[in-house]
Amino acid sequence: MRFFDPHIHMTSRTTDDLENMASAGIRAIIEPAFWVGQPRTTLGAFVDYFSSLVGWERFRASQFGVKHYCAIGLNSKEANQEGLAKEVLQILPRFALKEGVVAVGEIGYDEITEAEERAYAWQVNFARQHDMVVMVHSPHRDKKRGIRRSLAVAKEIGFPMEKLVIDHNNEETVEDVLEAGAWAAFTIYPHTKMGSERMVEIVRKYGPKQIIVDSSADWGVSDPLSVPKTAKLMIERGLSQEAIELTTWRNALTAYAQSGQIDVEELLQKPEIDQSRLFNDNSVLRGQSPRVERPVPN
Amino acid sequence: MNAIQVLSAMLERRLDGAARESWRTAAAEAARGMSPDRFCIVLAMASRYARRSTALAPDAAELARAQQAIPGWNPERWSLLDAVRVSIVWSRSDLARPTIVEALEEAFRYADEGELVALYRSLQGLPDGKRFAWRAGEGCRSNMRTVFEANVLDTAYPAACFDELPWRQAVVKCLFVGAPLWRLHGLDGRLSPELARMVLDLVEERRSAHRAVPHELWLCLGTHGGGRGLAALEAELAGDDALGRRAAIYGLARAGVADRVRSIAERDRDPAATEAARDALAGNCSQLVFRKLDPNESKK
Repeated sequence: MRFFDPHIHMTSRTTDDLENMASAGIRAIIEPAFWVGQPRTTLGAFVDYFSSLVGWERFRASQFGVKHYCAIGLNSKEANQEGLAKEVLQILPRFALKEGVVAVGEIGYDEITEAEERAYAWQVNFARQHDMVVMVHSPHRDKKRGIRRSLAVAKEIGFPMEKLVIDHNNEETVEDVLEAGAWAAFTIYPHTKMGSERMVEIVRKYGPKQIIVDSSADWGVSDPLSVPKTAKLMIERGLSQEAIELTTWRNALTAYAQSGQIDVEELLQKPEIDQSRLFNDNSVLRGQSPRVERPVPN
Repeated sequence: MNAIQVLSAMLERRLDGAARESWRTAAAEAARGMSPDRFCIVLAMASRYARRSTALAPDAAELARAQQAIPGWNPERWSLLDAVRVSIVWSRSDLARPTIVEALEEAFRYADEGELVALYRSLQGLPDGKRFAWRAGEGCRSNMRTVFEANVLDTAYPAACFDELPWRQAVVKCLFVGAPLWRLHGLDGRLSPELARMVLDLVEERRSAHRAVPHELWLCLGTHGGGRGLAALEAELAGDDALGRRAAIYGLARAGVADRVRSIAERDRDPAATEAARDALAGNCSQLVFRKLDPNESKK
């Protein structure tokens, strides 16, 4: 089987993870820009971070046969640092319109402050003007209200719902998102956001049409194999092949290919792994012999 | 005694020899005035003569003096290093002037984890605390639990200076990260219908996910939960989580439904629950009663 993990922060993960992901069938990923665990203090830190998402991280994943796309955005937490936030929004277009940037994201609300709303609305508007997809982070605290607000603001701006992906849903929020006509993404996170078992029940209850499964694996306790593990459970629990394919591959592809930044033909070909390529004269190898042209198992 | 006098007296008792000399020199330098650069260096270098692993361990009289100087200031869990750093901040002679804002901002920006903890603890002792409200908001957004707790627990600052939104966020974040909410000074005085709505939404999320509801959530309703709150409390009582049930009993008492608490005191099968009900009927249902339910406190 092949999988698309449309939300994972590879910056915080190791090459072991990439190897395991590839061998579990993860063919493509999206790395949205996010908060790095503590606040950045300068514009330069954002510039270097965005640049690594379209540069080094893309290359690093490619050495393992994983197609890396990204989303560029100012996250909700750092939107509260308003001076810096303004500077970040100014340079955002330089990165957000690059090749392989499939969405503006992850953006949205954390504490649901006015500053967060200003940054969110600005970015949704930017995405509307440039015909982009938006990946929305929903808050941990006061999630239901945060999601309703993010849907309402996007509607006010006239943003097309079929280009809006609301992430980190749970049983209490999924109906609002589906009713609005947006994509409902679910983060499978050990012990907190959503477990594989609950995910199976949600797909059973609401059907697979607008539902996307992702790992959001990052610097915290999280699992980069969440998507294939959940798919395995779906098989065991008797979900249809189509439901599994939609929620762990095709829906993400359909949603984010609307950006025009995914070469679907190329993605569907078997990836060839050539670890002898270099990026700025650096490879990820540390003395190992390169593993060349071994296809990722389907 | 004012706050800096209380803190200095504690340090005089605990530091000796070269350490005491270094601290006195640093505090005197802060009082004379120093550049933001130098302020950062002096705060950092306190770690050379005072250890984070050494508890301040104030005695009852010292705690009482702290409480008197700043109602809500509880240095029970401070380290010796926290105390030295806070005393350096409080020793500055420009606490009411704009220069402290600039110097503190610089210190926060370049701070390591331990310095952040001390700087957040220091905010409660500064006049016109709202000047630092944005920075305190950053402390709430921190992922370092030590920093988050220093910012909101055992300090007078949040109740005095947080606006409604950051206040509610701080409360609910305590529930999310498991920071003991009973230590959020002034919680009982700042309950609200909106906070009750937020935590009742959280109850629904957790129950839909078949996950436990944090027992301290029942501190957040007060009289604002309405019918939805009472139903949520009853659902907790109908469950089998002993700690959650005791907390819900106090929650019922806080909501003012004494008759229901009385019937629990008379009829409940769990002796711990009847004891909680009797305790609540005796009038013990302020946030501090949750200290008894804090698993970390009973280990002591």
